[in-house]
Amino acid sequence: MEAKHIEMHGVRKTYRFFTLDDLSLELAPGEVMGFVGPNGAGKSTTLRLAMGLVTPDAGEIRVLGQPMPAASASAKREVGYVSAEMLLLPNATLGWHMDFVKAIYPSWDDAYAMTLVKRFNLRREQNARSLSLGERIKAVLLLTLARRPRLLILDEPTTGLDPVARHEVISEFMDVLQDDSRSVLFSSHNTVDVERISDRITFIDRGRVVESSNKEDFLDRWRRIQLQLPEGAALPALPNIVSRNVDGRFVTLVTDRFSEGFAALLGPNVREVQRMNLEEIFVANVMRHREVRGS
Amino acid sequence: MNIVTRKLIAKELHVNRLLVGGGVMSGVASVVLAALGQLGFSIGSLIWLSTIIAMGVILALYGIMNERKEHSLEFIMSLPLSVSDYVRAKMLGLALCFFIAWSISVAGALVLVFAKDSVPDGIAPYVVLLGVFMLANFCVVLCGTMFARNEGTTTLIVIVTNMGVTIFMFIVAPMKGIHDFMWGPVPVWNSAFWAVLGCELAVMVIAFCLPIFLVARRRDFL
Repeated sequence: MEAKHIEMHGVRKTYRFFTLDDLSLELAPGEVMGFVGPNGAGKSTTLRLAMGLVTPDAGEIRVLGQPMPAASASAKREVGYVSAEMLLLPNATLGWHMDFVKAIYPSWDDAYAMTLVKRFNLRREQNARSLSLGERIKAVLLLTLARRPRLLILDEPTTGLDPVARHEVISEFMDVLQDDSRSVLFSSHNTVDVERISDRITFIDRGRVVESSNKEDFLDRWRRIQLQLPEGAALPALPNIVSRNVDGRFVTLVTDRFSEGFAALLGPNVREVQRMNLEEIFVANVMRHREVRGS
Repeated sequence: MNIVTRKLIAKELHVNRLLVGGGVMSGVASVVLAALGQLGFSIGSLIWLSTIIAMGVILALYGIMNERKEHSLEFIMSLPLSVSDYVRAKMLGLALCFFIAWSISVAGALVLVFAKDSVPDGIAPYVVLLGVFMLANFCVVLCGTMFARNEGTTTLIVIVTNMGVTIFMFIVAPMKGIHDFMWGPVPVWNSAFWAVLGCELAVMVIAFCLPIFLVARRRDFL
């Protein structure tokens, strides 16, 4: 059986004003994990730990079965890493970059690279300095995807892109994901992108994993329920309530364990049961987590 | 040396090609200018010194600091290499860039010394010592910039090493064994020369190797 593409167990990394604590994460081959968190939650630190660019203070990290950061040089042969902040080298054209990466990776696919050049409307002669933000991210993606990595680690790759460029980039990811053996760890605070391509989602906040689950499982379990209570009636004690908002007789509940039995408990008071999108689930989850931690 | 290290060294030559080309042209032009009489010699010497110093500073600032600041380091570190591979390739690549302009400039200066009758051949050992000092100085700037975490520290390193050139000239030019033969008709490669050269080479080797052993062991490279 193929090893997990990413395994992190009990990872801790402490900085002066931030601690990533007891992080555990697993990414199976072929899986696409959306790693969602607010700014400063620890997404980039986690991804850098996975790339071996940062050494954990505690815990164990393995990428494609290899210990990190000890075997980072070897593991990175089959890992593609893209971050929104990443820049190409100045004073060099895109064509030079393509030749440079091709010389390092025997897996480089020339035909696919040229397809991406056309699809992303780039030109080999373009100097890295002259690329717009969208072109820059597309160029980095091209250089990463054309080497056909088994594992893609993407740190907010769509941040700052206009809707059209974002669509192009996400569509390219979807194409890449046709190959079932590839896996992707995709960090973002844009839940729309994450919802579109991920099959597993992990929420992180203030250096701790809040929840990790299958995307469909999240969408199935979380509901917003609107109730209208009879005059003088009190809300019955209910399990698994994430938040409640009472306005006179009108009550809005959010639950993370919705089932038909749950609705039956509320009886005829239920006015509406709404499915929640990933952004709503993410915000409710983070707020509950902060409340539990007392901050 | 693996393919990634070789490619990274070649990358430094490519990325810095204009700077190296400019350095070579300026170095050669300064030697030509120095051959054109007394005033030309003074101006040429000044340009020669400034070219070599500026080359070192710009290479370190652009090659290391800017790469870090502008996040192209993330692109490089996404390649299959370890931190120590990166540090070794960076040091070798930038040193090679500097060496091209430095060696042509120093060789040009020595040709001038030996070819021009108005310049005494006795100054050749001093020119060699000054040239090697600037090579060692570049290694110190490179080493300091590799260790520096911010621009302030890098600026301080640049200022201190620039002052070092003046201090070198103040200390070594009047040294017994150097000064005594500087204006003579033949170069004298005496023990004073070899002692200073030995010190310079030692500084150079230490400054060059320190980042390869220490920076490469950093727990957090980015």
